[in-house]
Amino acid sequence: MTSDGSAALSCRDLVRRFGERVAVDHVSFDVAAGETYGLLGPNGAGKSTTIKLVCGLLARQGGTVVVAGQPIDERTVDAKASIGYVPQDIALYPDLTAAENLRFFGSLYRLGSKDLGRRVDDVLELIGLADRAGDRVDSFSGGMKRRLNIGAALLHRPALLVLDEPTVGVDPQSRHAILENVAELGDSGMAVLYTTHYMEEAQRLCDRVGIIDHGRLVAEGTHRELVSLVHEEDRIALGATGDLESLRSVLSALDGVTGATTADSTVHVLARDARRLLPRVLEAADAAGADVTSVEVVEPDLEAVFLHLTGSALRE
Amino acid sequence: MRAVLLIAAKDLRQRFRDRSAIIVGFAAPLLISFLMSAAFGGAEDLHATIAFVDEDGGELGSALEEVLSIPELEEVLTVETRDRADAAARVDDGDLDAALVVPAGFTTAVIAGEGAELEVLAGVDAPLSAAITRAVAEGFLTQVRANRVAVATAIDAGAPVTDIAALAERAAATAPATALEDQPLGGRELDLISYYAPGMAIFFLLYAIGFTAKSYFTEQREGTLDRMAAAPLRPSAILAGKALSVLVYGTTSLTTVAVVTSLAFGAEWGPAGAVAAIVLAMVLAVVALTALVIAVSRTERQADGLASIVTFTLALLGGNFVFVATAPEAMRRAALLTPNGWALRGFTDLATGSAASSAVVPVLSILVFAAITAAAAAVTGRGLVTR
Repeated sequence: MTSDGSAALSCRDLVRRFGERVAVDHVSFDVAAGETYGLLGPNGAGKSTTIKLVCGLLARQGGTVVVAGQPIDERTVDAKASIGYVPQDIALYPDLTAAENLRFFGSLYRLGSKDLGRRVDDVLELIGLADRAGDRVDSFSGGMKRRLNIGAALLHRPALLVLDEPTVGVDPQSRHAILENVAELGDSGMAVLYTTHYMEEAQRLCDRVGIIDHGRLVAEGTHRELVSLVHEEDRIALGATGDLESLRSVLSALDGVTGATTADSTVHVLARDARRLLPRVLEAADAAGADVTSVEVVEPDLEAVFLHLTGSALRE
Repeated sequence: MRAVLLIAAKDLRQRFRDRSAIIVGFAAPLLISFLMSAAFGGAEDLHATIAFVDEDGGELGSALEEVLSIPELEEVLTVETRDRADAAARVDDGDLDAALVVPAGFTTAVIAGEGAELEVLAGVDAPLSAAITRAVAEGFLTQVRANRVAVATAIDAGAPVTDIAALAERAAATAPATALEDQPLGGRELDLISYYAPGMAIFFLLYAIGFTAKSYFTEQREGTLDRMAAAPLRPSAILAGKALSVLVYGTTSLTTVAVVTSLAFGAEWGPAGAVAAIVLAMVLAVVALTALVIAVSRTERQADGLASIVTFTLALLGGNFVFVATAPEAMRRAALLTPNGWALRGFTDLATGSAASSAVVPVLSILVFAAITAAAAAVTGRGLVTR
């Protein structure tokens, strides 16, 4: 993707073993500036180990990591300033306040006291905790801690933000807020490496997704590129009243439609690219005099892709 | 260096917000050293009131009565002369601590060379007073036997038998040829608060090993250690920051205990410079021990258990609970294998008036211990932060 060397992150042939077990097996991928790249895989697939290799937290047995043009390993010091790391755990001090936590972690990134003060205020504002700045973290809800956990990685304006399953164990509302925050950061031009085992998060958030299983990156690409690997068709479920059989017949004849069936007041249309075909399907239904009551486009999801590529379900 | 200071400052902020750390580092050593001094210090004020019963009526009975009234015993004994029945009843009632009885025929039996014993009537409520009374009786009997031997030797050597009375009188008046007297090297008596104040301060300082090791593994478990390691700083800076926080905490704790016990309880610590050198060396040894506990442990629970074992083993061997100078030889030798044993030896010497230079050997010994321990930690714990 970024073979011109402009990648915010470039990983090549990363290898890490724990004894006999190969946790990361020749993994390579790039993340461009402004791109959100998802590493999707079940628990134990090697996502967190890959993240730790990227951040120089683990020694590796092979491969290279380059962040913003600078190589990274476990002995690196200065180049780590380009990375903002959000661990899977809530890595905060519960007996310190939100502001004290941010000031401490920000100061480790060599921010001057004036700049640090401003950044702490900005980040607290960004994550919606400005009014709780002086409260101890152990008085926060799980969602607030998660947001602060992300905030602590943003103080030094990193070129690459690395998030290791940042929504594990949070309520839907907090998850939504976190995903909104991450999306905004990606839109602002920051490169984001995001690991998750939630397929919906990867689909919603990531420009590209790498599917990882048993330490190996088995596929990567955009959502569309990945689902095309499955050779599975999209489906349009058209709820309608009237003569459903003649409607099915009309829709079957449309260019791009590979088949249609009826069941329970619904015509199911199979197509290669359902979203592009949808306007023509609705026009044909209207022309056929059908009264359309509902429309649903069902595309093959990453769950299907994962099943197709690995032979096992994502949540196993 | 900035990162080291930042991490140390953060650790200290957390430490001083934790009430238990304040109690262990400051309140507990002050309180326990005061209580132990008060508890054991009671022995110094021991005084017994006893009855003297003379059923013998002979010369030796009178001699013993004279012995009991010498000025040296006035601080320890108050003696009342009574008959046996009255004395026994009063001892039984607890009005008197003990009674020393010279049985009838005692003098005659001694002169005849027959077995002669004094009797001590002891009350169950005052075992220490009874022990003092027995000690006085034993001392008197020893002197009497020595006099008999002296007179007999003189007669065997050809002294005129007509001079026996004069010889006996001279022998009785002669002080023993040798006498033992406790005399501290520095020339000053060691009071208990001056021993237990540093003893307890060091004991509670050893708790910092557990605190810090536990905090390290908590940081590892909760991910804050990884978060620090992901920042642009050397992994060694994280360990150095934690070591610095122990150094500051330990030095503050020991210094506070020294100042407060000096001012409030009158504890003797000795010259400030020498005390500071021992304090610093001891805190460095604690830092090294902490590093070793972290290096050889794999979990928080392991570290906690190991730190407890180290703390109590060192405290027991080093003499933090008992005055090691009066302990058996093996225990005194074992104390010198521990940094706290050396520290207490140094503090004791200084407290009894020894020169500041007397702290040199203890300080060097502690530093050698610290260096060996730190080296072991460095070898065992290589790659501690980024494994």
